[in-house]
Amino acid sequence: MGLLSILRKLKSAPDQEVRILLLGLDNAGKTTLLKQLASEDISHITPTQGFNIKSVQSQGFKLNVWDIGGQRKIRPYWRNYFENTDVLIYVIDSADRKRFEETGQELAELLDEEKLSGVPVLIFANKQDLLTAAPASEIAEGLNLHTIRDRVWQIQSCSALSGEGVQVRLWRSLAVPAGHL
Amino acid sequence: MSSRKLRMFVQVCLYFYCKCLWRCLKFVVRKLTGQCELQRICYNTKPGAARTMKIEASLKGSKSKRLQTSVSVHPDAIEKTIDDIMELKRINPDINPQLGVSLQACLLQIVGYRNLIAEVEKLRREPYDSENPQHEEMLLKLWKCLKPNSPLKARISKQWCEIGFQGDDPKTDFRGMGLLGLYNLAYFAEWDTEIAQQVLSDSLHPKYSQLSKAEWEKKKFDKAIGYSFAIVGINITDLAYNLLVSGALKTHFYNVAPEAPTLTHFQQTFCYLMHEFHKFWIEEDPLDIMEFNRVREKFHKQILKQLQNPEMALCPHFAASESLINM
Repeated sequence: MGLLSILRKLKSAPDQEVRILLLGLDNAGKTTLLKQLASEDISHITPTQGFNIKSVQSQGFKLNVWDIGGQRKIRPYWRNYFENTDVLIYVIDSADRKRFEETGQELAELLDEEKLSGVPVLIFANKQDLLTAAPASEIAEGLNLHTIRDRVWQIQSCSALSGEGVQVRLWRSLAVPAGHL
Repeated sequence: MSSRKLRMFVQVCLYFYCKCLWRCLKFVVRKLTGQCELQRICYNTKPGAARTMKIEASLKGSKSKRLQTSVSVHPDAIEKTIDDIMELKRINPDINPQLGVSLQACLLQIVGYRNLIAEVEKLRREPYDSENPQHEEMLLKLWKCLKPNSPLKARISKQWCEIGFQGDDPKTDFRGMGLLGLYNLAYFAEWDTEIAQQVLSDSLHPKYSQLSKAEWEKKKFDKAIGYSFAIVGINITDLAYNLLVSGALKTHFYNVAPEAPTLTHFQQTFCYLMHEFHKFWIEEDPLDIMEFNRVREKFHKQILKQLQNPEMALCPHFAASESLINM
């Protein structure tokens, strides 16, 4: 498949390239986050069929961000993108309480994946601009994040819509795993 | 650095030189033929996109403020604008009765296209609101037209996935396309019902006809061999919107709309694009849905290329029988 050859090319380039995988349920805000990271217009977002990819330069890193659609039908394809992932970003719609259980299950399955073992995970508690959004601490507790022992992890509240909490904190979290890239 | 500045300087000089040359040429031709540029365009180019786009370029490039602003007047002021232009260009309407009519038709299209962009943009910016009975009604109509034989059991239901929404409530799927996405899908389902139902059915198992029974049995468990009808509709809405805003659709609208292009014209274009995209998808025979953006990009380029031909019109089959004035 074409995708694999692209991946190999990415890996053969000089270091300081970071492969970031952006996952989460549909309507979590992954594409908005991706566009926000790339400083692009976010007013024309449509639901993702398939995937989007963008390369973003930041602090000497070249971030290759893969945003994969979150629709249930597409989730079986997530595994095709696991290989060589440096950082997993998992996005949660903090206001969609009805699906906290579903999103927790998907995350737990991802953390069990062999190809993602040891990969640092950054969880974005997105949509904090909404009044009904649950705070990051509540989500962390609901998802039992404190039981994660096999990797670096972090949860950040953010609003991909306003851009608040997106840029700065992503870099800080990257600084930790950068050592074993 | 200095060579870049020099190059820029040369380019600027060249620009003014060409502009000056163009003006002189126009002056000479005008003296020779006794006709202004607008007259020459109308007499030498047949009606349709070719003529209207030349008129538009001529008006915008004119040195007269009145002519420049004529492309953005209110539709009601068009007749007065034509009179002004005729007076300004010292054209006698009694000797050239056809010119006013031709110019008016062009201007109606030019102004109409601008207004259509504004109308479409307004719809796009209006988010889907489940408290609004009109929005809800249209959403339910979409279901009824696509699935006449299987009633929706509840407003919030997994059934929505059957027509290609992502979850149990479509409202979160309209996103950046707002009401425009719903308007387009509902129009497609209501006015081009047969094709819409066919496309929906194919989108659920597009490769069925081409596979052997054994292969199909194997594939059936792979739930994502097709694409999601409604989601693709919202993505194709984005494509149609981009074609409109970039001006690429002028070719099409100036060829099919006798006067100002309307929202209906835009929605018919959407129907055409859905049908064409579907055929394109099947021809491309992608491995799976993950290739969607690649296929979409290729389709976009193909449509853009087609629209470069001034004769081009993107007509859905059901509108083809309607009068195409300029074809």
